[in-house]
Amino acid sequence: MTQTHPELSERRILATELLWSVGVAVLVIAIIAMVLVTALTMGVNPPSNVERIDPKTLHLSGEFAEQNLGTMVGSDGSVTARVIATQFMFVPRCIQVPEGRKVTLRMTSPDVIHGILVTGTNVNTMVIPGYVAQVHTVFMRTGDLLMPCHEYCGLGHSEMYAVVQVVPQNEFKPDSNGRPVCAKR
Amino acid sequence: MPDRETTTKASADFEAPDGITESDLGRVMRIVPLGAGVLAGGTVALIVLGWLIIYLFVFLPRGTVG
Repeated sequence: MTQTHPELSERRILATELLWSVGVAVLVIAIIAMVLVTALTMGVNPPSNVERIDPKTLHLSGEFAEQNLGTMVGSDGSVTARVIATQFMFVPRCIQVPEGRKVTLRMTSPDVIHGILVTGTNVNTMVIPGYVAQVHTVFMRTGDLLMPCHEYCGLGHSEMYAVVQVVPQNEFKPDSNGRPVCAKR
Repeated sequence: MPDRETTTKASADFEAPDGITESDLGRVMRIVPLGAGVLAGGTVALIVLGWLIIYLFVFLPRGTVG
């Protein structure tokens, strides 16, 4: 068979490949555009805070000293929860936050690398000694959300978890120091 | 190593007329690339659809993060 079919010509193959490339390029651009639009309009971004802290002294003074841990409402109404992730527990083990309000989670570790996620939300970050992990989020539903360590940190890793207690705005009642306490369930 | 007789027979089979005409081949070759395109396009469309459903109905409702 010596005759070449026009369908098999290089021109035809090139046209098909070009068509496919354009189609895939349109899809990739559309997906990137969608991710960018949601990032800019809805604030959905990967946590990217870079902040150093001395892991040897963080328990002695400063924002991660024991008296500053847990949720705190600032004078401007901002809600910040500070947690230390250490082998093999979170301190404190329960933090109360309000529903539908911007919350800042700040965490660090004095020993090894840990990681956290809050179930049912997009909160997910590594907690690395020497750095402060910071996540801004808004909790959209109430309830006790499990916050396990998701980075293997040693033999007690599977026992390392905390609870994020999300309560309705009218039940979020910090004391005079701006410190809410987890309700007993 | 195949002996000479087997090799010759195989070549003869390969070259034997199979009743397929040039027009038959042309007709099939017009359809086959279309089928490959539909299969590949359908597969990519399914993957993108799956990503879209998870992104819009699972990821975004879980709230803002940053």
